[in-house]
Amino acid sequence: MIVNDKRIDFKGTIKELVEKLGFPKDKIAILVNGEMVKKENWESFLLKENDYVEIVSLVGGG
Amino acid sequence: MSLYIGGKEIKNRLFVGTGKLPDYSIIERLYNEIQIEVFAVAVRRINPEAGKGVSILDFLPRNATIMVNTSGARNHKEAVKIALIGRELTDSDWVKIEISGELKYLLPDNEETIKASEILVKEGFKVFPYISPDLIVAKKLEDIGVSAVMPLGSPIGSNKGIDCEILLKAIINEISIPVIIDAGIGKPSHAAKAMEIGADAVLINTAIATSKDPFHMAKAFDLAVKAGRIAYEIGLPKEKEYAEASSPLENLIRSME
Repeated sequence: MIVNDKRIDFKGTIKELVEKLGFPKDKIAILVNGEMVKKENWESFLLKENDYVEIVSLVGGG
Repeated sequence: MSLYIGGKEIKNRLFVGTGKLPDYSIIERLYNEIQIEVFAVAVRRINPEAGKGVSILDFLPRNATIMVNTSGARNHKEAVKIALIGRELTDSDWVKIEISGELKYLLPDNEETIKASEILVKEGFKVFPYISPDLIVAKKLEDIGVSAVMPLGSPIGSNKGIDCEILLKAIINEISIPVIIDAGIGKPSHAAKAMEIGADAVLINTAIATSKDPFHMAKAFDLAVKAGRIAYEIGLPKEKEYAEASSPLENLIRSME
């Protein structure tokens, strides 16, 4: 699947992906194919081979 | 006097944008030592290989008010999506709608901004739309129920100050929700001017963040905002065409002729 424009070999749920990549889950949000998936659904959301995943967070901005 | 805005009482009328800050640890000093209460932030993708990288969320004081901007949005749908992400990440319902219509002057797309505002007000957000200074747009936004309007003083990052004073004054005079002048303020004197003409607050980013000493530059802006506000609340004198002596014109000393 594609994660922030990088191809990654991964099978599992969003929760497992976040754990694998080592992100603190309270500081990120996840979009799958352009739609945000709320944290309460990360454990049950199974990612598919062709999913386009975006991991976002807050940065400095004006 | 405090500003009542977005469901909160805000004492400091200087709002600070955190983009381009050399070091996020400055934020805590701005909060503790200058009592800045409102900080703007943006939503961006993160590098999946960065792992537990430094997040601005680690530096935002617990009781500060976070205003998530929708910068990067090109239309109302993208702005709504970013707003929902921002609320998920912060628990803050304050959103600054920023939809760029073009990239040279980064001028906001007022039409798309109105559409996004309608949706986000219904979603329960406190909506702060960044707009070109257009009174009719500001009135429409007021009717929709936004918390404030944020007209630009001049283009983002241009440091040109209050370059459309008559249009800003029209908004300040004709709508009853708060007006926050956002963008283009480059010097403390610009911020004082914004407050003198009756802005309720200013949002400053580039001029502070790119300064050689952001903390003390923020202090300078804080003083300017306070000075301008005090003068506005007292009431400024009218301008006159000719001189009017301040010293008495009677009992003058005159040499013998």
